[in-house]
Amino acid sequence: MPLLQIEDLRAYYRTEVYGISRSVRAVDGVSMELYNNEIYGIAGESSCGKTTLIKVISGTLKPPLRVESGRVHYDFGAFEVDMLTIDPEELRQTVRWKEISYVMQGSMSVLNPVRKIIRTFEDIVRTHQGIPNKKLFLEQTQEHVRRLGLPPDVLNLYPHQLSGGMRQRVAIALATVFHPSLIIADEPTTALDVVVQRGVLQMLKDIQAESQNTVLLVTHDLAVHANVADRVGIMYAGRIVEEAPTQIIFNAPRHPYTEHLIRSLPTIGDKSVKASLGGAPPNLANPPSGCRFHPRCPLAMDRCRTETPEMITLSHHHRVACHLVTEAEA
Amino acid sequence: MRKFVLNYLIPRIGQYFLVIFLGVTLTFIIPRLSPSDPVERQVSQLMMSGSHVSPEAIIAMREALTEMYGLSGSLWEQYLAFWGRLLKGDLGPSLSSFPTPVTQLLATAMPWTFGLLMTSIIISWIVGNILGALASYYEKNVAIQIVDVVSQAVRPIPYYIMALVLLAVFAYWIPIFPFSGAYPPGTRVEFSLSFILTVIRHSLLPLFSLVLIGIGGWFIGMKSLTSNIISEDYVVYAENAGLPKNRILSQYIIRNAMLPQITGLALQIGLIFSGALIMEVVFGYPGMGTLTFQAVMANDYTLIMGITLLSIVGVATIVLILDFIYPLFDPRVRIQ
Repeated sequence: MPLLQIEDLRAYYRTEVYGISRSVRAVDGVSMELYNNEIYGIAGESSCGKTTLIKVISGTLKPPLRVESGRVHYDFGAFEVDMLTIDPEELRQTVRWKEISYVMQGSMSVLNPVRKIIRTFEDIVRTHQGIPNKKLFLEQTQEHVRRLGLPPDVLNLYPHQLSGGMRQRVAIALATVFHPSLIIADEPTTALDVVVQRGVLQMLKDIQAESQNTVLLVTHDLAVHANVADRVGIMYAGRIVEEAPTQIIFNAPRHPYTEHLIRSLPTIGDKSVKASLGGAPPNLANPPSGCRFHPRCPLAMDRCRTETPEMITLSHHHRVACHLVTEAEA
Repeated sequence: MRKFVLNYLIPRIGQYFLVIFLGVTLTFIIPRLSPSDPVERQVSQLMMSGSHVSPEAIIAMREALTEMYGLSGSLWEQYLAFWGRLLKGDLGPSLSSFPTPVTQLLATAMPWTFGLLMTSIIISWIVGNILGALASYYEKNVAIQIVDVVSQAVRPIPYYIMALVLLAVFAYWIPIFPFSGAYPPGTRVEFSLSFILTVIRHSLLPLFSLVLIGIGGWFIGMKSLTSNIISEDYVVYAENAGLPKNRILSQYIIRNAMLPQITGLALQIGLIFSGALIMEVVFGYPGMGTLTFQAVMANDYTLIMGITLLSIVGVATIVLILDFIYPLFDPRVRIQ
């Protein structure tokens, strides 16, 4: 059984101002599965629905974001949870941080500026487990932090005394105190320089290798996915357009959008001018008909303008939604 | 720690003395720019009263008055003498209630004002801030919405109208509170239970009026501060981590939102030293506001100078204390 099964998930931002209602279809028909012991990367341009998808998966969505339809089902081994129907209190007590923890985007500022780091650890541990022995808690927290390669002294510091990379690592350390089954990291390396990025990614990899759990890594940076992820899903305009093991995505992409993304990556020694993809991501309040990529696709056919391509599964768990790829190949 | 004292505390103390020095100097200069001569005014008042005074006596009196007001010698000598007397705690005699020293008038008025205003500021600060934070965190709660509407409605009412309405309702139509004063006229001021109870009964209506207006201000301020803090990443993170709501409210939202409010509180406390003019006039309360009002009406400029100096020192001292304790609330100031 997969850890997480998502079936035809649709989540829209519905707003109504002065009687004019508007819906932004940020996630529009996503189906995917996450397995135990893997790092899954979600890639795509800004505003393609990555963070919205995460919010639904982690159960942290707030109005005006609403789930229209679909299923988000977890199997934690000991128990199963349907994220879209679970009672919020039960979610808080049994799932949050114990099974799923979520390192938000911009986690440089997720630490309370007026309290020491240790206080935040204390809050989280007290909420989900209780602190019967303060000394033991302190020792365990120091041990946890040390194992992640952070000096235990950081616990007695305030967030403003830490560098951006340190803060990001503290945020990840906070998210992993209970060794959750799923760690969701949204743009954990954005705004960090490459050297610090490497440290943060290595930390995520080490945590995953140690606890054999699942990491869902969201970033627009394909280089990060190439280094870290086991499988990669490419999102475009609220849908997953291609998904495959990392090797296959980078060596043999099938969707024209994936191809463009990968071709735009610089490689050492390559002096050719990179072709840019014309246009901008579509407005999700009024997405294009048919295949949502067709206005920007150099290979678009008549069929692409009217008919939405179905997801086709090729060999080696390679899935792609494009009219150029036919059932025959599968 | 050493760095903190050198870079933070020492400059603040220096600033404090600089502000007081400038304040005292301005208090010295401004009355001397006035075209009226207090000595001549005093003398002519005496002569107008019709009594016969010999020219020698007038000259002697002029000299005595000039000496007493500190107006003898050059401006520079006067300034030094002014400081000399000030450091000895001598603010000169009051002109309107001659020869009572100004310091004595201030000492009589100050406790009344301080007791009443301090109580009202602290009550309204605590209540207003807690309600404000609750209002923006529990937006949908009906009780909170009612408090919100009431404070929005009370806030724009001018204070004197509110005070007069309260007097009319609770002292005239429903006479449960006395009309004016801090105690009934003719009562001896003493430390007895019955006297203290009388004072409390007299102060309830002014206190209520101040608290009502005060809460509205703090409430609205805190509500908007809180509504900004609520969308901060660290609050969203705490929510995602499943922390209990009351923990998020107290440790994540209020701890951060109250920082500007602490500054506001200190400034309000500083302003106590000049009294609450309108409140004291409306309720006939014998504090600094009434004293100021009388001093201005009677052209009693030694008293005005005394009140001004007390306010300057008061505000500066409170700001200094705030600077000292603020690092306890905001570590970003403490460790730089």
